[in-house]
Formats: sequence, C-alpha cells, structure tokens
Amino acid sequence: MKVKVVTKILEANERIARENRRLFDNAALYVINLMSGPGAGKTSILEKTLALGTGLRIGVIEGDIAGSDDAERIEKHGAPVVQINTGGACHLDANMIYEVLQDLPLQDLDLLVIENVGNLVCPAEFKVGEDIKVMVLSIAEGHDKPLKYPLMFQESAALLLNKIDLAPYLDVDINKIKKDALSLNPDLKIFEVSCRTGEGLSAWTDWLKKKALKNQKTADDKD
Amino acid sequence: MHELSIAQNVLEIISEQCIKSGHTKIDSVNLRIGRASGIMPDALFFAFNAIKTDSLAAEALLNIEEVPVTGLCNDCSHSFIVQEEYILNCPVCKGSSFQITSGRELDIIDMEVS
Ligand SMILES: Nc1nc2c(ncn2[C@@H]2O[C@H](COP(=O)(O)OP(=O)(O)O)[C@@H](O)[C@H]2O)c(=O)[nH]1
Ligand SMILES: [Mg+2]
Ligand SMILES: [Zn+2]
Ligand SMILES: [Zn+2]
Repeated sequence: MKVKVVTKILEANERIARENRRLFDNAALYVINLMSGPGAGKTSILEKTLALGTGLRIGVIEGDIAGSDDAERIEKHGAPVVQINTGGACHLDANMIYEVLQDLPLQDLDLLVIENVGNLVCPAEFKVGEDIKVMVLSIAEGHDKPLKYPLMFQESAALLLNKIDLAPYLDVDINKIKKDALSLNPDLKIFEVSCRTGEGLSAWTDWLKKKALKNQKTADDKD
Repeated sequence: MHELSIAQNVLEIISEQCIKSGHTKIDSVNLRIGRASGIMPDALFFAFNAIKTDSLAAEALLNIEEVPVTGLCNDCSHSFIVQEEYILNCPVCKGSSFQITSGRELDIIDMEVS
C-alpha cells in the first residue's frame, strides 16, 4: 500500500526552532547564529565585541565538538555563557539550543550570540530559532570560498571578513570574495575587520547595536 | 556532511508513519533532495542502508529524486535551470536579482508499506 508522507525531513528541527523563537520573542531577545569554518575568528570577534562595550547585555552559547576553551574566553569578559559539546556532530541543531536555554538569564539579555561549530557547510542548514545568521570568513581561507560554499553566504545577513591585517602576506583577492559573495546574496552586509588591530570592528558593533535595538523597539510596540 | 543524521530523521519519520497506517513493514521510500541542499545522495544511501537493519525499514529500498537548482529572474522574468549548486546571475539578462525557486528540498514524498 502506498502511504503519502509529504514531510520535510528536518521538520522536527524546525518545530523546535519555532519553540525557541517563541521563547526569544517573549524575552524580546535578538539572536544571532554565528557561523564560519574552523579558526576564522568567531570567538575572537565575540571577545572584541564584548570588550568594545556596545551597551547591550549580551549572552553567549558556545558550540564546539569538544572542550570549553571558548566559553572560558567569553567568561573572562563577564558575559553569561553556556558551552554545548556536540560530541562529534558537525553543527548545532534547535534541540541542543532548547536544552540549554534554561541556563541563561534570557529576560535580562538584549542579544544572544550562538557560536556554531566550525564548519562552512552544515550550520547554515539547521535553523535554531535565530533572527539572523552572521558568518565570518578569514581572508587566509582564500577567495574561492563563496562559490565553494554558497549556502552559508546566501543565508547570512552579514559577512565579517576577518584577519584583514594579514592581507600584505597573502595572495588573496579580497575584491573577488566581496564580488562573489554579493552576487550570491545582494543584501549581504560586508565588514572588513581585524581582531588583531581592531580595524573595522566599530562599524560592525554599531550595525549590531542598531539591529538589536530595533528588535526591542518592535517588541515594545507589540506590548 | 551530516547525511547520517538526515538518514536517522528519515527512518524515524517513516517508522512512525508506517505504524500509524497500521502496517509493519516498509518496502520502499521516495525522497526529493535538492542539489543545493548540501546532502549528497550517495552518502545518504550509504547511511540509510547502514542504520535500517533491525527497523521496520530493514528491507526498504530508498529512492532519491534529485531536484535541480532553478531560479526566477526579477529583472526579465525568465525561469532558468543551472548546472551548479548555486546561482550567480540570470543566464538570460545577466541580472543579479533573482529568486531561487527549487534546489533546497529535503523532503519525504511517500512510501510503500505492507
Ligand atoms: N592575525 C590575526 N589573527 C586572528 C584574527 N582573529 C583571530 N585570529 C587568530 O585566529 C585563531 C582562531 O581564532 P578563534 O577566534 O579561536 O576562531 P574560531 O574557531 O572561529 O572561534 C586564533 O589564534 C586567533 O588569535 C585577526 O584578525 N588577525
Ligand atoms: Mg571559537
Ligand atoms: Zn552537520
Ligand atoms: Zn534575467
């Protein structure tokens, strides 16, 4: 006998992502899913963002295959942080996030950043209930990355091109990265930054602040 | 990359649906997988066949229909199919404003049970 199924394979994940979304909305919390390949500089950017002082109350979820190094780096800046170890899984899914939300003071935060597992492929495919996805690409990874990993560039609202201080030492065509990324996603906001020199970081934090505050305003309007 | 977790999701959903329909054995299942979904059919076959033993789908045949990436141009209104896993611009007018109309599917369509 034939049975019609017609279901998204990831439907269970999407259902939990919607539940996370509801919890975030109740707390008027703006949520970013921060993605990149391993070592592009996600944790460094978070540390700099915290150190620059945005005036936002920021909480962090650290996703890693193993270890708690990143959470310890964030904790030093006084931000509430929870570490998730995926035990081998190559991405965070909605349920992993759901299970740690009780460990964060959601009502006392303005912005929650979820640092995903270092991987340019999967994290873009699993919604966790975020408002936007932001990706980091270090220029040392090469200018072929947008066309090799198009999905992440298409799904992101902003791209941080990190390690711009290394440009003099690399044969990388930064304009090609920007051109290809914008062809894939014309609405992508691109920031060239360096966590080493601090270059470009205030443009990023200004943008972030505007996004998070606009979210609070729309939440207030709904009350 | 995570074809194994996708295969596990498929197995859970079809097992549940099979029981709901009052049957005890899944003979085949049909999936639609977009070419821009990030899932490789070969790896999914491998993962599914590895985990299906000891389940209602132990003898199930997996069929995958691959869906090409297609777009609709916002400038010239042409629909088009691309060979790559992404669209850079409209192949007709070269415009860069377009919607992706297919290629991201990760769906279970139907199955045969007995
Ligand atoms: N030269 C340089 N190194 C950086 C920069 N940002 C991060 N790094 C280094 O890159 C490595 C990986 O950074 P990390 O923040 O842990 O990356 P993550 O794996 O994406 O979280 C560390 O050794 C950082 O010190 C940068 O802007 N310039
Ligand atoms: Mg990190
Ligand atoms: Zn994955
Ligand atoms: Zn066109």
